[in-house]
Amino acid sequence: MEGTSTFSFVVQQMVNGISLGAVYALIAVGFALVFNVLKFSNFSHGGVIGISAYVGFLGALHLHLPLLPTLLLGTLAGGVVASVVEFLAFRSIRKKRGQLVYFFVTSVTMLMLLEQVLVIFFGASFFTYPQLIRTTSFTVGGVSISILYILMMVCAAVAFAVLAWALRYTKVGIAIRAASNDLTTTNLMGVNVDFIVLATFFVSGLLAGLSGVLLGMAYTLYPQIGQLVVKGFIASVLGGLGSLTGAAMGALALGIVEVFLITVMGAGLSPAVIFVLMVVFLLVRPQGFAGVSFKEKA
Amino acid sequence: MLAVKDLHVAYGRIEALHDISLSVPGGKIISVIGSNGAGKTTLLNTISGLIRPRSGQVTLDGRPLPAAAHLTVAAGIVQVPEGRKVFSSLTVDENLTMGAYLSRRADAARTRQEVYAMFPILKQRAGQAAGTLSGGEQQMLAIGRGLMSLPKVMLLDEPSLGLAPKIVKQVFELIQEINRRGVTIVLVEQNARKALAVADHAYVLENGHIVLEGTGAELASNPRVEAAYLGVQAAEA
Repeated sequence: MEGTSTFSFVVQQMVNGISLGAVYALIAVGFALVFNVLKFSNFSHGGVIGISAYVGFLGALHLHLPLLPTLLLGTLAGGVVASVVEFLAFRSIRKKRGQLVYFFVTSVTMLMLLEQVLVIFFGASFFTYPQLIRTTSFTVGGVSISILYILMMVCAAVAFAVLAWALRYTKVGIAIRAASNDLTTTNLMGVNVDFIVLATFFVSGLLAGLSGVLLGMAYTLYPQIGQLVVKGFIASVLGGLGSLTGAAMGALALGIVEVFLITVMGAGLSPAVIFVLMVVFLLVRPQGFAGVSFKEKA
Repeated sequence: MLAVKDLHVAYGRIEALHDISLSVPGGKIISVIGSNGAGKTTLLNTISGLIRPRSGQVTLDGRPLPAAAHLTVAAGIVQVPEGRKVFSSLTVDENLTMGAYLSRRADAARTRQEVYAMFPILKQRAGQAAGTLSGGEQQMLAIGRGLMSLPKVMLLDEPSLGLAPKIVKQVFELIQEINRRGVTIVLVEQNARKALAVADHAYVLENGHIVLEGTGAELASNPRVEAAYLGVQAAEA
């Protein structure tokens, strides 16, 4: 009896961890997409997550949208907001060939700006999404599985399947991967890099939007919800900056570790431990999980 | 015909190219030789539209070239950049797809068959990541990728750099073969001997100035070129 309960506890935590990791993976892959092309850590991604979470919330509350349209609305909002951020904030730095630190500082500034926009319109108070899913959980063999967690996993799986297809088989997708290798040479192929960078931000924003709505449904809404982008950052560092698959793997690992740490030592201490674990991991394996890099041959 | 007229290019306050004029008649091979830092890559990047000149003009068949690199490709000028710059994490086949980014689907399919016929090794490795190819194979891929856009003019930046002598020979034969098929070639090289041997006309670039020009054979026998670029000791005075 003791044995089964320990087993179901572990399974329970794994399910929770994987579904949390799935949302982190959405954040991390969106974060990594922009990093790969422009080589800077784009923390404005968090602002996009926050705005999209509220847009989805407004749609569900005021337009009485059901689950699927709410997810689509938030996802699309993310794509649009991220494109606007690229156009207004990052394009001119790129045109002037600004240093990477300018991009980075601007991205943090945009994160704070977008958070403040939310504070202006919604105040600092907390909101909760209307109930979009009727049943909240079911039980299999002593393990209680939340429908929301299933939703998170399904959303991530669908999003990644579509993304993988687009990056492999569409012209723009292949160009985004080429731009991740070398933006100037991509330009020399006749590709309008302004468009490709915008497209990269749009796709990255779609993922941010989807993760925003899921986070909004899983937690309460507050203006700083987008700061969960840090999880995506940690995950993509763990996975090896530059690799989308690595970022997704890093996110899953982070989700699982985090859930276990929270049950063992509580939510207060676990972030500190996670950072320590990250530093140790990077000392052992600086290139991350998927850190395979090709060298150009001279 | 590609023509460069009175071109001045500067990085900030430092002028890299001074009053460069050169003409590249259609169907010919034009070589530009010069040492490291002479401004050869700057010249090609200006023609490609990556760098805006301070003054001067680049025209193709009398029309000024657009000021953006992606439009230059549409106008029929493609650059095979220094150091190959293949997209290392893309497959060989995807690299060719990128080369044909502006082409219509039917043209791209036909050109891809031609490129694979020209480079059987690339066909064998079509599904392999380009970063896993050898240096020579990467150069073949970079040239094949350039051909995918069906260019009128191909700009080649140091295609022999870092390659074994046997491969260098192949690369130069290949350039002549591409030229025979009707593509105008602008070849920028430190390997002056080879570059002059294939050139119909050649220029010597020193510190951003064109200091000499002539047919490939003329320059190859010029004592100044011999001393500076061909490694022949000047006769004792």
